[in-house]
Amino acid sequence: MSSSPVAGPAATGPSSGPATGPSGQPAPDRHRGPGRPGRRIRPVSAGGRRGPRRGIARYFPQYLAVSPYYLIFSVFMLFPMLYTVYLAFQKWDGIGEMQFVGLQQFRFLWDDPVFWLSLRNTVVIWVLSTVPMLFMALVLAVLVNSVRRFTAFYRVALFIPSITSLVAIAIFFGAIFSNNFGLINAILQSMHLSAVPWLSNEWTIKLVIAALMTWQWTGYNAIIYLAGLQAIPSELYEAAKMDGAGPVRIFFSITIPMLRPIILFTVVVSTVTGLQSFTEPQVLFGSDASTNPNSGGPGQAGLTTLLYFYHQAFDNNDFGYAAAIVWAFFLLILLIVTINWRLVQRKERRP
Amino acid sequence: MDLSRRRFLQAAVLTAAAAGATAACGGGTGESGSKDSKNLKFWYWAGGLSDKVVADAEKQFSDVSLKTSVIGGDFKTKLLTGMKTAQTAPDITGIKGEDIASFLPNAGRFLDLNSLGMDKLAPEYLSWKLKQATTQDGKLIGFPIDIGPCAMYYREDLFAKAGLPTDPAKVSSELSTWDAYFEAGVELHKAVPKTFLVNNIGAVFSMAVGQGTSRYIDADNKFIGDQDHIRTAWTTAVKPYTLGIDAKINDNTWNAAIGNGTLGTEIGAAWHALDISNAAPGTKGKWRVASLPSGPSNLGGSFLCLPSTCANPEKAFEIIKWILSPENQARGFTDAALFPTAPAAYELPALTGGDAFFGGQKTIEIFGPAAEKIPAAYEAPADAAVSAAYFNELTNVEAKGKDPETAWKDAVSQAKQIAQRQGVK
Repeated sequence: MSSSPVAGPAATGPSSGPATGPSGQPAPDRHRGPGRPGRRIRPVSAGGRRGPRRGIARYFPQYLAVSPYYLIFSVFMLFPMLYTVYLAFQKWDGIGEMQFVGLQQFRFLWDDPVFWLSLRNTVVIWVLSTVPMLFMALVLAVLVNSVRRFTAFYRVALFIPSITSLVAIAIFFGAIFSNNFGLINAILQSMHLSAVPWLSNEWTIKLVIAALMTWQWTGYNAIIYLAGLQAIPSELYEAAKMDGAGPVRIFFSITIPMLRPIILFTVVVSTVTGLQSFTEPQVLFGSDASTNPNSGGPGQAGLTTLLYFYHQAFDNNDFGYAAAIVWAFFLLILLIVTINWRLVQRKERRP
Repeated sequence: MDLSRRRFLQAAVLTAAAAGATAACGGGTGESGSKDSKNLKFWYWAGGLSDKVVADAEKQFSDVSLKTSVIGGDFKTKLLTGMKTAQTAPDITGIKGEDIASFLPNAGRFLDLNSLGMDKLAPEYLSWKLKQATTQDGKLIGFPIDIGPCAMYYREDLFAKAGLPTDPAKVSSELSTWDAYFEAGVELHKAVPKTFLVNNIGAVFSMAVGQGTSRYIDADNKFIGDQDHIRTAWTTAVKPYTLGIDAKINDNTWNAAIGNGTLGTEIGAAWHALDISNAAPGTKGKWRVASLPSGPSNLGGSFLCLPSTCANPEKAFEIIKWILSPENQARGFTDAALFPTAPAAYELPALTGGDAFFGGQKTIEIFGPAAEKIPAAYEAPADAAVSAAYFNELTNVEAKGKDPETAWKDAVSQAKQIAQRQGVK
């Protein structure tokens, strides 16, 4: 129960209110709970009602204290982002004169089969990694939640992959899945099975990249789920047990509905990060070659959109085209996130 | 409580201000540093020059302070970023061979070495290499550090097993064409089934294109990648694939393949010898070098350039002239396997000695004549970008079994698109 603040901010809708309702006398409690801080804030801001300028002056130290983040954000994130909008309408090689070309870069983009290939690759890799990742994370979280001993050890163990250097993991995976001399193929051969050309087949390349991402982020999501699980009141479980529900019924009728806001959060976050796979294929497929670097491996099967963007910007020095690629890609991510949001939220309203 | 919070905020503000001031100071020192003609910033990458020669240059030119930085990671990107302002730009910088063409349209950002005295030195250096760093109106922006004359490395022991000639001179004369080389590969594969002739067909394609006098784009900025010379190179490259003597190595397993006899030959530049000896120290003495079938080709080879913001052009030119003198280039060959661009160096003991890795063979007898006979070809700024389409499709042939004819058509149409995006007519 002590971890309820974790679930608090993540709960997006009023759904968490009514859900906690049945346990005890909620009505007066709720007013005292979330209502009070709101009222307490109001008189304070009422003091600054005389003018907004006075308000800024009065809270100057506070604004100053939070300003470093916003300064760094605007210099290193906001400005470059806005600048790429400008760049997408230019032709520029990085040091020469910029030349305004209107929508030409987007026309090129529309006609470029490699761009569409990279989008397909990205979406396939994302689906192959996110679906098993979130499922396994949920199962792991439920398991760890039910364990009584060594809980700290399990939590640390789950978290370690996500703080391990991605480049190191990619090199390691490259060695494990190596076609001719890799560990997995050695095991397959010792069991008299034929070796799989992991890093040259179109589909196994995507599978290896997805496996790498799954390995790295499953534990991270499991920790988030674990926090959500601990926020579910134990009375609910007790009541369900009294009514004779088995563990599977409890999982689907209590755990999953109660976790819905957390699941929404992880789905959105893993959509945004999962679609941005870049380092994995870059390290796996000889990015330092002097001829044809960053091609995404055999058949360009590991060429994700961000890797293609990087190739255009930093190998070909076609910065305008690269900017057009990332903006088109941004719109795609936005679309997918919106669809996800709608899907998960609609489910939330149903019960 | 209130007081301490205020104090905390004050402290935070002070810290932020201090950090800002430090950053400003950092910028300030950089500014004064580059305008000072006594301080020269010198950028290169690990292995790009002999570190010993560079260290000696610092001593040799004690009247200026040479601040060398060995830049890691993507060198070209860092140079592009560094050259944004005069304060951050280096005074002397290396540029890799595969990147030099893309800098030529911005030759105005570099000093013309000819006007600093390179025109008098030019006859001492390989003319085809100088041409790579020369603009169409005759400005020279790069002093050549090294070249990559290509040759065919082969396993003498495996050749002997297959009944092929083993003596370098004989191999060079008998396998003098691509077809003869591939035929030998078929025999080799028959005699030693686990051994293949080439690691991938992209390597053959890159050599075959380099043997010609024109590439993907001509001097009038017109796309010519669909013409006969590229088509012939493509057909040559596909042959080992159809003959079944292609090892199809497109991942990091090359290191293992070179050591365990999967590869019977390896075509590559002079600097590739170092890759082989590093990856397969156990095969020492079993390798030999022969001429590249169908004539010499070049792969790689870098330059030293002086950005136009250089604080002391005369001194900087004197320094690079010294670093890249024939004697010091010979040291570069010993220390970092940099093949000299001054033919005078080919006579020096550092190069004429035998190489134990190649069973004591005097490899200069193969590389020296090749270096001087490499054809000069116009390399357009978009050359590397356009070539990617061909390499990708050749890999598709190897990895997916794509029909070579379809792959050729796709490669040409993609190359045309890339060329168009890069402003080629």
